[in-house]
Amino acid sequence: MNSRPVARLDNMSKRNTAGGPQRGGQAQLFVVPGEDLGESKGQDIGHGVIAIEGRLRAIKQGRLRQKGSTLSVDPTYTRYIPRPSDLVIGYIEGCTNNIWFVELGAPFNAILPMSLGPGKVEFGGTRSVMDIGDCILCRVQEVEETHSSVVTMKGLGLRKIRSGVIEEISPHLIGRLIGKGGDSLRRLKEETECRIVVADNGRMWVDGNLDGILRVRNILDELSEGSNSNSSGGEA
Amino acid sequence: MTIPLVPKLLRAHLRELAINESRIDGRQRWEGRELDVESGVLPRAEGSARVRMGDTIVFAGAKFQIMQPYSDRPNQGGLMCSAEVRPVAGRHWEAGPPSPESIELGRVVDRGIRESGCIDVDSLCIIPGEKAWQVILDLFAISDDGNLFDAFALAGIVALRNAIVPAERFDIGEDYPLELSKTPIMCSYHKVGGRFVYDACGREELGGDERIHITLGDDDHVHSLQKGLKGIFSPNEFTEIMGHAQDRTKELRKIVDSL
Amino acid sequence: MGGYGDVQMIDENGLRVDGRGPSDLREISIETGVVPVADGSCRMKWGTNEAIVAVYGPMEAHPRKIQRQDRAVLDVAYNMAPFSTTDRMRPGFNRRSREISKVTKDALESVVLLELYPRSKIRISIEIVSAEAGTRCVGLTAASVALADAGIPMTDMVVSVASGKVNDVVICDLNKEEDNYGEADLPMGILPNSGELVFLQMDGDLSQEEFNQAWQLNMDAAQAIHEKMVESLKGGDSQ
Repeated sequence: MNSRPVARLDNMSKRNTAGGPQRGGQAQLFVVPGEDLGESKGQDIGHGVIAIEGRLRAIKQGRLRQKGSTLSVDPTYTRYIPRPSDLVIGYIEGCTNNIWFVELGAPFNAILPMSLGPGKVEFGGTRSVMDIGDCILCRVQEVEETHSSVVTMKGLGLRKIRSGVIEEISPHLIGRLIGKGGDSLRRLKEETECRIVVADNGRMWVDGNLDGILRVRNILDELSEGSNSNSSGGEA
Repeated sequence: MTIPLVPKLLRAHLRELAINESRIDGRQRWEGRELDVESGVLPRAEGSARVRMGDTIVFAGAKFQIMQPYSDRPNQGGLMCSAEVRPVAGRHWEAGPPSPESIELGRVVDRGIRESGCIDVDSLCIIPGEKAWQVILDLFAISDDGNLFDAFALAGIVALRNAIVPAERFDIGEDYPLELSKTPIMCSYHKVGGRFVYDACGREELGGDERIHITLGDDDHVHSLQKGLKGIFSPNEFTEIMGHAQDRTKELRKIVDSL
Repeated sequence: MGGYGDVQMIDENGLRVDGRGPSDLREISIETGVVPVADGSCRMKWGTNEAIVAVYGPMEAHPRKIQRQDRAVLDVAYNMAPFSTTDRMRPGFNRRSREISKVTKDALESVVLLELYPRSKIRISIEIVSAEAGTRCVGLTAASVALADAGIPMTDMVVSVASGKVNDVVICDLNKEEDNYGEADLPMGILPNSGELVFLQMDGDLSQEEFNQAWQLNMDAAQAIHEKMVESLKGGDSQ
């Protein structure tokens, strides 16, 4: 619901081991879907690249990245597709007697079964624990082949989010926000006196007093404006 | 349209912002979003406009058809307003017959223009009892980030203001500009976090409550009012927003006049 | 297709009513990101045509009956706004729009990697706000750019253009009068990487030789249009 352009992570390779957009390596030229990338010389192909009849082709628009023997594309925009162990921020969209449906900004809602919910929940008591419109910090437990996922709240730090705001952030800005070794993020937290948790589905939780929250929002605006006005070909 | 999920955190945040005299996009309480108005943008329409308010973008096209006057009003032509919010404009707008939301949109904007009497329907008569001009104003949403009401109303009046009656195409005489006797302008207010604000953006609409639409003419005459959605407001609250509407409609009218 | 063969559409210098040569295209401009609330979007002006396309998705496919277990479905809606034509177009059900929606969907489903998003749908809204012959081609081409803008994976983008015939001369990219008074219309949807086709329609009267000429005109034009599409995507490159 943000007016800022938002991109989300997308794991669109069918292989479980291949990740989404990768870090590291050299970011190069800008490619569009259908663009020929040369002969397939037996290298690995990652996100956004396929092999057709011995040649490699881009299937998304974005920057070509060569990391080791893997050729991939960093997409300029993509929707979030869940991967196991992703830390995610979701909204409760509905529930039955023993299941909550969690909206993650992905093509499908995730399922949170009662047994993986917070604390002890009785059958039929789901709504009294977490209601429609509530926000939770949880982890993706498993993803089945049609991208439906199961999330869990059993785990360190996982909880119902009771205060603060949820901001949306493009994945290609997360690197700059966090900074080398987490420096920028640490400084931001100190400066604004806010608790900040960056999730994997393009959302972040910011909690503190209003001034701090507004300051974080300003920084995010500056970051996305900065990325719009100059195209830096550097690494995320 | 599908009803989008309203996050509880959003409502709590909007309440805190309201108490602190702030808004979610950094604006002041009575401040409108960045406004861009262009006229004459649709080559096939006889009058047209494109309005952008923040990330809300709409088109208005005015076209003319020949109609047979109604038997009880043989010397008058007519005005018809039609509003469409198609799936192009947002994730929550679905295909299918017009939803109550888009019908309300069209009718509220229509009343603001029609009831002002800015179009002299007698002057639209061509041959009494036989032929008259029908002005059709089509309002079309491209991107919905809140307050389609004001965007439609503004685009509508600008389209009418630059409309040329296509007499030549119908072999009735020479083309001439459509005359409007006044310029009705709409201002919409949403209750967000417990207080009314002007020109709500998408998130404020999502987390907000009732809304009030006021259309005023050149002399601050009231031409239409509408309260929408669930909520209760007081006479004092209304007086406050009416005061703002008087100022803002004048500002917008100046912009329309300058095109 | 009227076949008004006696209306003069090509002058003695071989130029058309709007001054173009037989293989010249109308002016084209392409912009992306024009619907801020959408996942991807494109605005394409082509002559007096203007199409605005918004892409949303992938998202859950509702109602359930349209869902497919093995792949995504494309929900394509082509629509002409009431003010897009000289005679106002009444909003509502329109058979022509339904047919164009379907063949556009068939074309795009041939290039989008649907198997990556089973059970979901991708919504593509093609709105024609100004029409001047060849709207289906503008719509399909703009939809390809909008899908790229939305990060939907595709094996290639679709470039669509139409050629025809007036006064026995085979010409590329018909304008309004040429469409009304001409003798044939051949729109195609071409994959620039391979020269393969995903969209093909034709009506009128063309000899085998004329047909081959029209075919080739489309193929050549597709390369030029594709360059503009790539330029608009790369030009909007903001990272």
